[in-house]
Amino acid sequence: MARKTRKITDLPGFRGFTWLFFAYLYAPLVLLVVFSFNATRSGTVWSGFSLTWYAKIAADSQIQRAALNSLTVAICATAIATVVATAAALAMKRGVPFFGRKVTGGLIMTPLVVPEIVTAVATLLLFSAIGLSLGLGNIILAHVAFCIPFAYLPIRARLERMDESIELAARDLYATPWQTLRTVTLPLLAPGIVSGALLALITSIDDFIITMMVAEPGATTLPLYIYGMLRLGVSPEINAISTILLGVSVGVVTLSHLLTRRR
Amino acid sequence: MKKTLTAALPLSFLTLSLMAAAGPAAAAEELFIYNWSDYTAPEVLAKFEKETGIKVTLDVYDSNETLLAKMKAGNAAYDIVVPSHNFVPIMIKDGLLQPIDAPKLSNYANIDEKWRNPEWDPGNRYTVPWMWGTTSFAVDTAVYKGPTDSASLLFTPPPELRGNIGMFKTPEEVVAVASIALGLPQCDDNPKDLKKVEELLAGQKPAVKIYSSEGIHERLAAGEVAMHMIWNGAAKRARDVRPTITYVYPKEGVLAFMDNLTVPKTAKNVKNALTFIDFMLKPENIAIQSNFARYSNGIKGSQAFLSPDLRDAPEINPPATVKTVFQPVCSDQAVKLRDRVWTRLFQ
Repeated sequence: MARKTRKITDLPGFRGFTWLFFAYLYAPLVLLVVFSFNATRSGTVWSGFSLTWYAKIAADSQIQRAALNSLTVAICATAIATVVATAAALAMKRGVPFFGRKVTGGLIMTPLVVPEIVTAVATLLLFSAIGLSLGLGNIILAHVAFCIPFAYLPIRARLERMDESIELAARDLYATPWQTLRTVTLPLLAPGIVSGALLALITSIDDFIITMMVAEPGATTLPLYIYGMLRLGVSPEINAISTILLGVSVGVVTLSHLLTRRR
Repeated sequence: MKKTLTAALPLSFLTLSLMAAAGPAAAAEELFIYNWSDYTAPEVLAKFEKETGIKVTLDVYDSNETLLAKMKAGNAAYDIVVPSHNFVPIMIKDGLLQPIDAPKLSNYANIDEKWRNPEWDPGNRYTVPWMWGTTSFAVDTAVYKGPTDSASLLFTPPPELRGNIGMFKTPEEVVAVASIALGLPQCDDNPKDLKKVEELLAGQKPAVKIYSSEGIHERLAAGEVAMHMIWNGAAKRARDVRPTITYVYPKEGVLAFMDNLTVPKTAKNVKNALTFIDFMLKPENIAIQSNFARYSNGIKGSQAFLSPDLRDAPEINPPATVKTVFQPVCSDQAVKLRDRVWTRLFQ
């Protein structure tokens, strides 16, 4: 009695369920984008195409300040996190083996699994304990911490796939370690570094919980501003900023993905 | 070589970015304000900056709870925060505010006598009024022609309004307004009194078309209901569309809220905060704010500077005789009883 092997895709209703799943994931986002172009204030009734809300954002100095804060934080945090992550990846993969290397690898990744609210409270407690008050600097420092694993992942992955014999060949040809790093390792690693940096950038721009906790006066970022506006109900203005934020996120992640795939 | 590089780079980046971040905070005269979103007139801040040379930075929050959490966490070093009346005693008790001794401010005399020495801050030691509003109900006088002076109109409606009524879906406000209608105290923790509230609401329920706290003025303006519980500002917006809408000030009293200018204990620019508060006590300045937020203020003589539609709006200018009732933060027992009334109502 041979049992016929069945694939999961043969199950009845699988196709319908798949469609339902994607609708569940993307319908709210599609609605959010569509209603950002609504002519009236309503977030539920469509009454014609308009760019009113985008024009309103363009004229709102508060939103611009928040966006500028978000960018400043993201760029600074990304720069620091990427340098640290690159160094870490090189040490883990190319450095001299040391005791506890496996554990260290795990420790670098833990921020990914620690509940964000826990990190947020812990960071806040640390900052108030040492009396740190640097305005945006507080947020940058907090962001660096959770951006490192995001930058580390693609860099490490790239390093895994890179042929070490090329670097060894350079050393055989009397290149100093510094020359090897600069002219061989880093150029080959570049796609991983850029990809990691972009991931870190987007993680930083999108962060809410940790930023909310450690934000000092004047350090409102875009997600904080959007949240503050919610008390008046979801207006198309929020839809419009969210759409821009969504566009930036999708764009950056796509770019990061393309860069990792190449070569 | 590699080692020095990896150590030096992050450090220099860190220093650079921290320097960049700390730069603007080191400017000469500053004022950091933390207020409700969409609640601070940009014109009034611009005017303040021009008159005083103090640079203002505004951040916004969505609720009193967010503000309180931020202040308790200890990193809200704002110079001005704007809590509602019911949160002021909590903040004073927790030592989150610092005394400003408002009566010593040069423009203190501009505050309407009605708003001096409020129950949430005796002697104005910590607060001065910012904006205030009321929660009552509005009725379409094209549908109902009778007198509009009592809360009984809402709770025991005449036949032409039955099945044509909208109520809030928030127990705090509904029970508070019902308690005023019955002449009961706010935050009552006597089960017998709450039983009366429950009976009143249960009796009204068959006549209610919808319980919802959203899209209220739209619903009234569209004529979907002829009577709705509503905030004064929203009633004005409904009347702009449908002129027969009347906002009711019940003789039993009207539920009110007041947001207040206060200075947190952690403020870094206390002198500038006091300058700002004194500035906002001038009628011509607070009027700019009222014109923007569409709410009443507590400053005498500000009417002259209001935009005409606001100056003549009964929603924004309640009769002097109206009794305002401010709801404090209720005890746990009172909240439990209130929620029980609400649960039973929808069983």
